[in-house]
Amino acid sequence: MNAIEIKNLTKNFGEKQALKGLEMTVPVGSIYGFIGENGSGKSTTEKIICGLIRPSGGAVKLFGKDYTDADVREKIGVLIEAPGCFPNYSVWNNLMLQAANLGIENAEEEVRKVLQTVRMEGAAGNKFKNCSLGMKQRIGIAMALLGKPALLVLDEPINGLDADGMRIMRETLTGLANQGCTVLVSSHILGELEKIATHYGIVRGGKMIKEMTAEELETSCRTYVALQTKDMARTKMLLGCKYSRVEEDERGYLRVYDNTKPETIVAFLYENGILVNEIKTDKIGLEEYYIDLMREKEGTVR
Amino acid sequence: MIVKSKKSGFVKRLKSMLYVDFRRMFTIPFFYIMVGIAFVVPILILVMTTMMDGSVSVNPQTGVETEIQGFDNVWQILGAVSNASGGEAAMQMDLVSMCNINMMYFAVAVFVCIFTTSDFTSGYAKNLFTVRAKKTDYVISKTLVGFVASAVIFTAFLLGALLGGGVAKLPFAMSGFVLGNVVSCMLAKIFLSTVFVAVGVLASVIAKQKTWLSVLLSLGIGMLFFTMIPMVTPLDSTFVNVVLCLVGGAAFAVGLGAVSNVVLNKTSLV
Repeated sequence: MNAIEIKNLTKNFGEKQALKGLEMTVPVGSIYGFIGENGSGKSTTEKIICGLIRPSGGAVKLFGKDYTDADVREKIGVLIEAPGCFPNYSVWNNLMLQAANLGIENAEEEVRKVLQTVRMEGAAGNKFKNCSLGMKQRIGIAMALLGKPALLVLDEPINGLDADGMRIMRETLTGLANQGCTVLVSSHILGELEKIATHYGIVRGGKMIKEMTAEELETSCRTYVALQTKDMARTKMLLGCKYSRVEEDERGYLRVYDNTKPETIVAFLYENGILVNEIKTDKIGLEEYYIDLMREKEGTVR
Repeated sequence: MIVKSKKSGFVKRLKSMLYVDFRRMFTIPFFYIMVGIAFVVPILILVMTTMMDGSVSVNPQTGVETEIQGFDNVWQILGAVSNASGGEAAMQMDLVSMCNINMMYFAVAVFVCIFTTSDFTSGYAKNLFTVRAKKTDYVISKTLVGFVASAVIFTAFLLGALLGGGVAKLPFAMSGFVLGNVVSCMLAKIFLSTVFVAVGVLASVIAKQKTWLSVLLSLGIGMLFFTMIPMVTPLDSTFVNVVLCLVGGAAFAVGLGAVSNVVLNKTSLV
């Protein structure tokens, strides 16, 4: 069963079409990295899933039921944009209110548990308005975790987090997924997302342009050979004649994307009188894959 | 993880929503500020108008002299009797008859607007409406909480009036009505406040994050109902007035509540 299944989702804001027939499938128990530029339709999709805005068309199913189903909706935890907390209330009181709202019986114990999960036990007495951005994000996650949700919808949860905060967030989300909770997480920090996501969805201009698993991404992220020589311009020209895709990266390395071995390249350059200073094989990450994909799509549009 | 269908009954849902709203209401300083205002205002009005009673002001352009008339009776601050034979407590349309408990209807509307829109301005509505598909619970809860708030505000005004009357040494004599009428009058006023509460809730769900707009809307719509208040809740109110206000208030709460529900269901909640 899929946790989220979206078919031909559209949303218009006046004349602006924010979603243009978006399709999306999020399997149960996955950590789904939802990626896209600003204004691509990520937040709109998440708000529709959470029932906060109404779609103009299409179908949204959560755990096989319509997204408006009251029983299913009680099983969603959400952090969209900023945590919905009362600024003058303490962290503890804000969480207790949400626990009461969810009808949790052993509220105190549950609140203590979620605060432990996000490592915020020490800040329970702080007023929400006095918390730092990173703390607020973690409180938002704690709030979303109340009631043991089957689906977590998190919009940019790692924004504003320090390195330790990011690590805690990673461990928390991975732990939840291991317990069977499905996590839909959007973020611009792709390096972090890559460490936890099991599935990816890349959205652009209100349409899903690519959905894949982490394994598929691994396969798609081609290996390349990166090298440096004393005469980079001539090296680039020579390699460009032999291989189909040769690019210079921002660190001053030449990248050869064709499936070839470093020793073959070294031998080829040696034959042409060029000595290689440094050579290594590497793999492009999610971020580069995403940028490449965006460039490709931009090219298609043009 | 398998999502089990655990049906939450209406009563259970409403109970938890009411618990949250009442807990919030009784812990925010704003509520106590409103109650404090409701308590202090009648004291100030009664004491100041008594001090100014009989003083004459002269219009410098026309030379017309106007004598300022204060309250003749403590109960006048709650309203006037419905018939002209009521003597000193009879219904009049002057400054004194306007500076009375009926002003509190606007205080109730403002309180409901600020209380309800804070759900949207704080982002709490996102948490709330994600897990709660039924908007009816929300509207009912807000209306009931607003009703209780108005009961407390009106009671504070009554207590303030009694204290202010004592301080100003105004007579507590009842002419043309008895204590039972005063109790009926207060009950009728409290029940009638449901209309203003429902208007406040509707204005808030329309305006959402824009508190100023909800206050403006509720005051604007409230003005339409304001003129009927002295007529349906006179000082010599009887059981009939209480029932009339209860039924009318409930009818408005249900009708406007249904509209609020439709607004929440048909519009974006963030």
